[in-house]
Amino acid sequence: MNVIETQKLVRKYGRMEAVHDLTLSVPAGSVFALLGPNGAGKTTTIKVLMNLLSPTAGEARVLGVDSRKLGVKERLQIGYVSENQQLPPWMTVRQLLDYCRPWYPTWDRDLEKKLLVRFELPEERKIKQLSRGMAMKVALLSSLAYRPKLLVLDEPFSGLDPLVRDEFIQGVLEVSEIGDWTVFISSHDINEVEMLCDWTGILTGGRLQLTERVESLQARFRRVEVVNDTAVVSSVVVPAHWLCYEQSGTILRFIETNFVAGKTEALCRERFPSAAVTAHSMSLREIFVALMRAERPQSREGALL
Amino acid sequence: MLPFFVELKPGLPLTEQVVFAVKKAVVGGQLKAGETFPSVRVLSLELKINPNTAHKIIATLVTEGVLVTTPGVGSIVAARAVGDKRERAEFLGADLERLVVEAKKMGLTLDDVQSGLAKHWRKLGGE
Repeated sequence: MNVIETQKLVRKYGRMEAVHDLTLSVPAGSVFALLGPNGAGKTTTIKVLMNLLSPTAGEARVLGVDSRKLGVKERLQIGYVSENQQLPPWMTVRQLLDYCRPWYPTWDRDLEKKLLVRFELPEERKIKQLSRGMAMKVALLSSLAYRPKLLVLDEPFSGLDPLVRDEFIQGVLEVSEIGDWTVFISSHDINEVEMLCDWTGILTGGRLQLTERVESLQARFRRVEVVNDTAVVSSVVVPAHWLCYEQSGTILRFIETNFVAGKTEALCRERFPSAAVTAHSMSLREIFVALMRAERPQSREGALL
Repeated sequence: MLPFFVELKPGLPLTEQVVFAVKKAVVGGQLKAGETFPSVRVLSLELKINPNTAHKIIATLVTEGVLVTTPGVGSIVAARAVGDKRERAEFLGADLERLVVEAKKMGLTLDDVQSGLAKHWRKLGGE
Protein backbone atom coordinates (compact mmCIF):
# COMPACT_ATOMS: atom_id res chain seq x y z
CA MET A 1 0.00 0.00 0.00
CA ASN A 2 1.10 3.55 -0.54
CA VAL A 3 1.07 5.39 2.73
CA ILE A 4 1.03 8.75 0.96
CA GLU A 5 -0.37 9.38 -2.49
CA THR A 6 -0.98 12.56 -4.41
CA GLN A 7 -2.70 12.87 -7.77
CA LYS A 8 -2.08 16.04 -9.77
CA LEU A 9 -2.06 18.05 -6.58
CA VAL A 10 -2.25 21.80 -6.96
CA ARG A 11 -2.06 24.39 -4.24
CA LYS A 12 -2.27 28.10 -4.93
CA TYR A 13 -1.92 31.10 -2.67
CA GLY A 14 -3.98 33.67 -4.54
CA ARG A 15 -2.51 33.54 -8.03
CA MET A 16 0.82 32.12 -6.92
CA GLU A 17 1.07 28.41 -7.59
CA ALA A 18 3.15 26.86 -4.83
CA VAL A 19 2.59 23.26 -5.87
CA HIS A 20 1.77 22.28 -9.41
CA ASP A 21 0.47 19.00 -10.77
CA LEU A 22 2.18 16.93 -8.09
CA THR A 23 1.79 13.18 -8.43
CA LEU A 24 3.82 11.07 -6.07
CA SER A 25 3.55 7.87 -4.03
CA VAL A 26 5.33 6.85 -0.88
CA PRO A 27 5.40 3.07 -0.43
CA ALA A 28 4.78 1.61 3.04
CA GLY A 29 7.96 0.78 4.91
CA SER A 30 10.10 3.28 3.04
CA VAL A 31 12.01 6.33 4.16
CA PHE A 32 11.18 8.96 1.55
CA ALA A 33 13.09 12.22 1.34
CA LEU A 34 11.47 15.14 -0.45
CA LEU A 35 14.34 17.35 -1.51
CA GLY A 36 14.33 20.78 -2.99
CA PRO A 37 15.64 24.29 -2.59
CA ASN A 38 14.03 26.86 -0.31
CA GLY A 39 10.64 27.87 -1.61
CA ALA A 40 10.22 24.75 -3.72
CA GLY A 41 6.88 23.87 -2.17
CA LYS A 42 7.94 21.15 0.24
CA THR A 43 6.30 22.63 3.33
CA THR A 44 3.16 23.46 1.36
CA THR A 45 2.94 19.84 0.20
CA ILE A 46 3.31 18.58 3.74
CA LYS A 47 0.71 20.99 5.07
CA VAL A 48 -1.73 19.70 2.49
CA LEU A 49 -0.94 16.12 3.49
CA MET A 50 -1.53 16.97 7.14
CA ASN A 51 -4.73 18.81 6.29
CA LEU A 52 -3.41 22.14 7.50
CA LEU A 53 -4.17 23.37 4.01
CA SER A 54 -6.61 22.01 1.48
CA PRO A 55 -5.75 21.28 -2.15
CA THR A 56 -6.70 23.87 -4.77
CA ALA A 57 -7.08 21.00 -7.22
CA GLY A 58 -6.17 17.33 -7.41
CA GLU A 59 -6.08 15.06 -4.39
CA ALA A 60 -3.89 13.79 -1.59
CA ARG A 61 -4.40 10.59 0.38
CA VAL A 62 -2.69 9.65 3.63
CA LEU A 63 -2.98 6.15 5.10
CA GLY A 64 -5.59 5.49 2.41
CA VAL A 65 -7.81 8.41 3.43
CA ASP A 66 -8.42 11.71 1.61
CA SER A 67 -6.27 14.30 3.38
CA ARG A 68 -9.29 16.55 3.90
CA LYS A 69 -10.98 13.76 5.81
CA LEU A 70 -8.12 12.81 8.14
CA GLY A 71 -9.77 11.83 11.38
CA VAL A 72 -8.75 10.84 14.89
CA LYS A 73 -8.13 7.25 13.80
CA GLU A 74 -5.50 8.36 11.28
CA ARG A 75 -4.01 11.09 13.48
CA LEU A 76 -3.26 8.52 16.18
CA GLN A 77 -1.02 6.78 13.66
CA ILE A 78 0.76 9.85 12.35
CA GLY A 79 3.66 11.67 13.95
CA TYR A 80 4.37 15.17 12.66
CA VAL A 81 7.35 17.37 13.48
CA SER A 82 7.95 20.63 11.67
CA GLU A 83 10.71 23.19 11.96
CA ASN A 84 8.22 25.76 13.21
CA GLN A 85 6.79 23.61 15.91
CA GLN A 86 4.67 25.55 18.33
CA LEU A 87 4.84 23.82 21.67
CA PRO A 88 3.12 25.44 24.66
CA PRO A 89 5.93 27.59 26.11
CA TRP A 90 4.56 27.63 29.66
CA MET A 91 4.51 23.83 30.01
CA THR A 92 7.46 21.87 31.36
CA VAL A 93 8.71 18.92 29.33
CA ARG A 94 7.07 16.57 31.81
CA GLN A 95 3.76 18.42 31.64
CA LEU A 96 3.73 18.26 27.87
CA LEU A 97 4.32 14.51 27.88
CA ASP A 98 1.73 13.99 30.61
CA TYR A 99 -0.70 15.95 28.46
CA CYS A 100 -0.01 14.04 25.21
CA ARG A 101 0.18 10.55 26.62
CA PRO A 102 -3.48 9.80 27.34
CA TRP A 103 -4.54 10.60 23.77
CA TYR A 104 -2.58 7.72 22.29
CA PRO A 105 -3.50 4.11 23.07
CA THR A 106 -0.20 3.00 21.55
CA TRP A 107 1.94 5.26 23.75
CA ASP A 108 4.96 3.31 24.99
CA ARG A 109 6.11 4.54 28.42
CA ASP A 110 9.35 2.60 28.28
CA LEU A 111 10.19 4.16 24.95
CA GLU A 112 9.32 7.56 26.38
CA LYS A 113 11.78 7.01 29.24
CA LYS A 114 14.44 5.69 26.91
CA LEU A 115 14.19 8.67 24.60
CA LEU A 116 14.19 11.14 27.51
CA VAL A 117 17.54 9.69 28.53
CA ARG A 118 18.92 9.48 25.02
CA PHE A 119 17.91 13.07 24.26
CA GLU A 120 19.11 14.28 27.69
CA LEU A 121 15.98 16.33 28.20
CA PRO A 122 15.45 18.21 31.50
CA GLU A 123 11.93 17.14 32.45
CA GLU A 124 11.21 19.98 34.84
CA ARG A 125 12.32 22.79 32.59
CA LYS A 126 9.73 24.97 30.84
CA ILE A 127 9.64 24.68 27.10
CA LYS A 128 10.23 28.43 26.66
CA GLN A 129 13.55 27.99 28.42
CA LEU A 130 14.75 25.24 26.12
CA SER A 131 17.25 25.78 23.33
CA ARG A 132 16.04 25.18 19.81
CA GLY A 133 17.73 21.81 19.67
CA MET A 134 16.09 20.67 22.88
CA ALA A 135 12.68 21.94 21.81
CA MET A 136 12.94 19.97 18.56
CA LYS A 137 13.91 16.89 20.52
CA VAL A 138 10.86 17.31 22.73
CA ALA A 139 8.67 17.65 19.67
CA LEU A 140 10.23 14.52 18.18
CA LEU A 141 9.89 12.54 21.39
CA SER A 142 6.24 13.41 21.72
CA SER A 143 5.72 12.20 18.12
CA LEU A 144 7.74 9.01 18.44
CA ALA A 145 6.52 7.71 21.79
CA TYR A 146 3.31 6.29 20.38
CA ARG A 147 5.11 4.49 17.54
CA PRO A 148 3.20 6.07 14.66
CA LYS A 149 2.85 4.21 11.36
CA LEU A 150 3.83 7.37 9.50
CA LEU A 151 6.34 9.92 10.69
CA VAL A 152 6.33 13.22 8.82
CA LEU A 153 9.32 15.48 9.37
CA ASP A 154 9.35 18.94 7.78
CA GLU A 155 12.87 20.40 7.70
CA PRO A 156 13.69 18.78 11.03
CA PHE A 157 17.41 19.63 11.00
CA SER A 158 17.09 23.32 10.37
CA GLY A 159 19.03 25.27 12.98
CA LEU A 160 20.30 22.20 14.81
CA ASP A 161 23.94 21.65 15.64
CA PRO A 162 25.65 18.47 14.35
CA LEU A 163 25.42 16.63 17.66
CA VAL A 164 21.71 17.25 17.96
CA ARG A 165 21.21 16.20 14.33
CA ASP A 166 22.85 12.89 15.13
CA GLU A 167 20.71 12.44 18.23
CA PHE A 168 17.64 13.24 16.21
CA ILE A 169 18.47 10.64 13.57
CA GLN A 170 19.24 8.05 16.20
CA GLY A 171 15.96 8.79 17.93
CA VAL A 172 14.14 8.12 14.68
CA LEU A 173 16.09 4.93 14.02
CA GLU A 174 15.53 3.75 17.58
CA VAL A 175 11.84 3.46 16.95
CA SER A 176 11.84 1.98 13.48
CA GLU A 177 10.55 -1.52 12.94
CA ILE A 178 11.25 -3.05 9.59
CA GLY A 179 8.27 -2.87 7.26
CA ASP A 180 5.86 -1.38 9.72
CA TRP A 181 6.93 2.20 9.57
CA THR A 182 7.16 4.90 6.96
CA VAL A 183 9.09 8.14 7.24
CA PHE A 184 8.43 11.15 5.01
CA ILE A 185 11.05 13.80 5.46
CA SER A 186 11.47 17.07 3.65
CA SER A 187 14.86 18.67 3.84
CA HIS A 188 17.52 20.62 2.12
CA ASP A 189 20.10 19.04 4.42
CA ILE A 190 20.82 16.24 2.04
CA ASN A 191 23.90 14.83 3.76
CA GLU A 192 21.88 14.09 6.86
CA VAL A 193 19.18 12.39 4.94
CA GLU A 194 21.26 10.45 2.40
CA MET A 195 21.97 7.36 4.38
CA LEU A 196 18.56 7.14 5.92
CA CYS A 197 16.33 7.31 2.91
CA ASP A 198 15.63 4.70 0.27
CA TRP A 199 13.42 6.84 -1.94
CA THR A 200 13.77 10.44 -2.95
CA GLY A 201 11.67 13.00 -4.77
CA ILE A 202 13.06 16.29 -6.01
CA LEU A 203 10.79 19.30 -5.99
CA THR A 204 11.69 22.61 -7.60
CA GLY A 205 9.41 25.55 -8.26
CA GLY A 206 6.43 23.51 -7.12
CA ARG A 207 7.07 20.80 -9.68
CA LEU A 208 8.31 17.27 -9.11
CA GLN A 209 11.41 16.63 -11.20
CA LEU A 210 11.76 12.96 -10.35
CA THR A 211 10.97 10.26 -7.83
CA GLU A 212 13.31 7.35 -7.70
CA ARG A 213 14.97 4.84 -5.42
CA VAL A 214 18.20 6.39 -4.12
CA GLU A 215 20.05 3.23 -5.13
CA SER A 216 18.89 3.56 -8.72
CA LEU A 217 19.76 7.26 -8.86
CA GLN A 218 23.24 6.60 -7.53
CA ALA A 219 23.71 3.74 -9.96
CA ARG A 220 23.05 5.88 -13.03
CA PHE A 221 24.76 9.13 -12.03
CA ARG A 222 28.52 9.57 -12.38
CA ARG A 223 30.84 12.53 -12.31
CA VAL A 224 33.08 11.88 -15.29
CA GLU A 225 36.53 13.38 -15.79
CA VAL A 226 38.32 13.06 -19.09
CA VAL A 227 41.96 13.94 -19.60
CA ASN A 228 42.76 14.23 -23.27
CA ASP A 229 46.22 14.44 -24.76
CA THR A 230 45.36 17.51 -26.84
CA ALA A 231 43.16 20.55 -26.19
CA VAL A 232 39.49 19.73 -26.64
CA VAL A 233 37.55 21.35 -29.47
CA SER A 234 34.70 23.34 -27.99
CA SER A 235 32.16 22.42 -30.63
CA VAL A 236 32.01 18.74 -29.75
CA VAL A 237 28.44 17.48 -29.74
CA VAL A 238 27.56 15.60 -26.59
CA PRO A 239 24.61 13.31 -25.76
CA ALA A 240 21.58 14.83 -24.03
CA HIS A 241 22.13 12.63 -20.98
CA TRP A 242 25.44 14.35 -20.23
CA LEU A 243 24.75 17.35 -17.99
CA CYS A 244 26.89 20.27 -16.86
CA TYR A 245 29.45 19.72 -19.61
CA GLU A 246 32.55 21.85 -19.04
CA GLN A 247 35.95 21.85 -20.64
CA SER A 248 39.19 23.68 -20.23
CA GLY A 249 42.32 22.90 -22.19
CA THR A 250 42.83 19.16 -22.20
CA ILE A 251 40.42 18.46 -19.40
CA LEU A 252 36.71 18.06 -19.62
CA ARG A 253 34.01 17.18 -17.14
CA PHE A 254 30.38 16.24 -17.27
CA ILE A 255 27.69 14.51 -15.29
CA GLU A 256 26.58 11.22 -16.81
CA THR A 257 22.94 10.51 -15.97
CA ASN A 258 22.67 7.15 -17.71
CA PHE A 259 25.79 5.38 -16.60
CA VAL A 260 26.38 1.87 -17.86
CA ALA A 261 29.81 0.39 -17.18
CA GLY A 262 31.82 0.40 -20.37
CA LYS A 263 29.22 2.29 -22.40
CA THR A 264 30.04 5.73 -21.00
CA GLU A 265 33.70 5.17 -21.66
CA ALA A 266 32.89 4.02 -25.19
CA LEU A 267 30.90 7.22 -25.82
CA CYS A 268 33.90 9.24 -24.60
CA ARG A 269 36.28 7.37 -26.86
CA GLU A 270 34.11 8.09 -29.90
CA ARG A 271 34.85 11.76 -29.35
CA PHE A 272 38.26 11.58 -27.66
CA PRO A 273 40.01 8.43 -28.86
CA SER A 274 43.09 8.71 -26.68
CA ALA A 275 41.73 10.10 -23.43
CA ALA A 276 41.90 8.82 -19.86
CA VAL A 277 38.36 8.54 -18.50
CA THR A 278 37.44 8.26 -14.83
CA ALA A 279 33.90 7.99 -13.54
CA HIS A 280 33.23 8.84 -9.89
CA SER A 281 30.18 7.92 -7.85
CA MET A 282 28.20 10.89 -6.60
CA SER A 283 26.63 11.55 -3.25
CA LEU A 284 22.93 12.39 -3.21
CA ARG A 285 23.88 15.98 -2.46
CA GLU A 286 26.13 16.14 -5.54
CA ILE A 287 23.38 14.63 -7.70
CA PHE A 288 20.90 17.17 -6.42
CA VAL A 289 23.25 20.11 -7.08
CA ALA A 290 24.00 18.83 -10.59
CA LEU A 291 20.30 18.57 -11.41
CA MET A 292 19.65 22.08 -10.05
CA ARG A 293 22.52 23.51 -12.08
CA ALA A 294 21.39 21.79 -15.24
CA GLU A 295 17.96 23.30 -14.83
CA ARG A 296 19.14 26.88 -14.98
CA PRO A 297 18.23 28.57 -18.27
CA GLN A 298 21.78 29.64 -19.13
CA SER A 299 23.03 26.06 -19.08
CA ARG A 300 22.43 23.44 -21.80
CA GLU A 301 18.86 22.50 -22.41
CA GLY A 302 19.63 19.02 -21.22
CA ALA A 303 16.58 16.96 -20.41
CA LEU A 304 16.20 16.55 -16.68
CA LEU A 305 16.15 12.80 -16.40
CA MET B 1 30.76 0.40 18.63
CA LEU B 2 30.99 -2.00 15.75
CA PRO B 3 33.49 -4.91 15.75
CA PHE B 4 34.70 -3.99 12.29
CA PHE B 5 35.97 -0.88 10.62
CA VAL B 6 34.00 0.84 7.88
CA GLU B 7 34.14 4.35 6.52
CA LEU B 8 30.94 5.04 4.63
CA LYS B 9 31.43 7.01 1.46
CA PRO B 10 28.35 8.68 0.03
CA GLY B 11 27.53 7.72 -3.54
CA LEU B 12 28.59 4.09 -3.44
CA PRO B 13 25.86 1.57 -2.60
CA LEU B 14 25.76 1.32 1.17
CA THR B 15 25.04 -2.40 1.25
CA GLU B 16 28.08 -3.19 -0.86
CA GLN B 17 30.37 -0.97 1.19
CA VAL B 18 29.42 -2.58 4.48
CA VAL B 19 29.38 -6.15 3.14
CA PHE B 20 32.86 -5.52 1.74
CA ALA B 21 34.09 -4.09 5.04
CA VAL B 22 32.75 -7.09 6.98
CA LYS B 23 34.32 -9.57 4.56
CA LYS B 24 37.60 -7.70 4.82
CA ALA B 25 37.43 -7.88 8.61
CA VAL B 26 36.75 -11.63 8.50
CA VAL B 27 39.53 -12.36 6.02
CA GLY B 28 41.90 -10.14 7.96
CA GLY B 29 41.09 -11.89 11.24
CA GLN B 30 39.51 -8.94 13.09
CA LEU B 31 36.13 -10.70 13.12
CA LYS B 32 36.60 -14.19 14.51
CA ALA B 33 34.53 -17.28 13.87
CA GLY B 34 31.77 -17.71 16.44
CA GLU B 35 31.79 -14.02 17.36
CA THR B 36 28.34 -12.43 17.67
CA PHE B 37 27.57 -9.99 14.91
CA PRO B 38 25.60 -6.81 15.67
CA SER B 39 21.84 -7.02 15.15
CA VAL B 40 19.95 -5.11 12.46
CA ARG B 41 18.96 -2.56 15.07
CA VAL B 42 22.50 -1.98 16.35
CA LEU B 43 23.91 -1.84 12.82
CA SER B 44 21.27 0.72 11.83
CA LEU B 45 21.91 2.89 14.92
CA GLU B 46 25.70 2.75 14.79
CA LEU B 47 25.96 3.49 11.09
CA LYS B 48 22.92 5.81 11.11
CA ILE B 49 21.38 4.03 8.19
CA ASN B 50 17.90 2.92 7.29
CA PRO B 51 17.08 -0.36 9.08
CA ASN B 52 15.86 -1.80 5.78
CA THR B 53 19.41 -1.34 4.51
CA ALA B 54 20.88 -2.87 7.67
CA HIS B 55 18.56 -5.82 7.20
CA LYS B 56 19.70 -6.21 3.59
CA ILE B 57 23.35 -6.14 4.66
CA ILE B 58 22.89 -8.94 7.14
CA ALA B 59 20.77 -10.96 4.73
CA THR B 60 23.49 -10.63 2.09
CA LEU B 61 26.19 -11.71 4.53
CA VAL B 62 24.11 -14.75 5.53
CA THR B 63 23.44 -15.71 1.90
CA GLU B 64 27.14 -15.44 1.11
CA GLY B 65 28.02 -17.64 4.06
CA VAL B 66 29.89 -14.98 6.01
CA LEU B 67 27.35 -15.01 8.84
CA VAL B 68 25.16 -17.76 10.25
CA THR B 69 21.84 -17.10 11.99
CA THR B 70 21.37 -18.88 15.28
CA PRO B 71 17.88 -18.93 16.79
CA GLY B 72 17.81 -16.95 20.01
CA VAL B 73 21.29 -15.50 19.54
CA GLY B 74 21.08 -13.64 16.25
CA SER B 75 23.85 -13.86 13.71
CA ILE B 76 27.35 -15.06 14.36
CA VAL B 77 30.44 -15.07 12.20
CA ALA B 78 30.72 -18.32 10.26
CA ALA B 79 33.66 -20.61 10.85
CA ARG B 80 36.33 -20.35 8.19
CA ALA B 81 40.09 -20.12 8.00
CA VAL B 82 41.60 -16.64 8.16
CA GLY B 83 42.24 -15.66 4.53
CA ASP B 84 45.59 -16.38 2.99
CA LYS B 85 47.84 -13.51 2.03
CA ARG B 86 46.65 -13.41 -1.56
CA GLU B 87 43.01 -13.17 -0.47
CA ARG B 88 43.85 -10.37 1.92
CA ALA B 89 45.84 -8.51 -0.72
CA GLU B 90 42.85 -8.70 -3.07
CA PHE B 91 40.92 -6.51 -0.68
CA LEU B 92 43.32 -3.73 -1.47
CA GLY B 93 42.35 -3.95 -5.13
CA ALA B 94 40.20 -0.79 -5.20
CA ASP B 95 42.82 1.26 -3.33
CA LEU B 96 45.56 0.07 -5.67
CA GLU B 97 43.50 0.87 -8.72
CA ARG B 98 42.91 4.40 -7.42
CA LEU B 99 46.63 4.82 -6.91
CA VAL B 100 47.37 3.65 -10.44
CA VAL B 101 44.78 6.05 -11.92
CA GLU B 102 46.21 9.03 -10.03
CA ALA B 103 49.77 8.09 -10.95
CA LYS B 104 48.87 7.79 -14.63
CA LYS B 105 47.14 11.16 -14.57
CA MET B 106 50.43 12.64 -13.41
CA GLY B 107 52.43 10.79 -16.01
CA LEU B 108 54.35 8.64 -13.53
CA THR B 109 55.78 5.23 -14.38
CA LEU B 110 55.39 1.93 -12.55
CA ASP B 111 58.94 2.35 -11.22
CA ASP B 112 58.10 5.82 -9.84
CA VAL B 113 55.11 4.39 -8.02
CA GLN B 114 57.03 1.43 -6.65
CA SER B 115 59.86 3.55 -5.29
CA GLY B 116 57.35 5.99 -3.78
CA LEU B 117 55.53 3.06 -2.21
CA ALA B 118 58.75 1.65 -0.75
CA LYS B 119 59.61 5.05 0.72
CA HIS B 120 56.26 5.35 2.51
CA TRP B 121 56.40 1.74 3.68
CA ARG B 122 59.76 2.36 5.35
CA LYS B 123 58.59 5.68 6.77
CA LEU B 124 55.71 3.96 8.56
CA GLY B 125 58.04 1.32 10.04
CA GLY B 126 58.65 -2.28 9.01
CA GLU B 127 60.64 -3.85 6.20
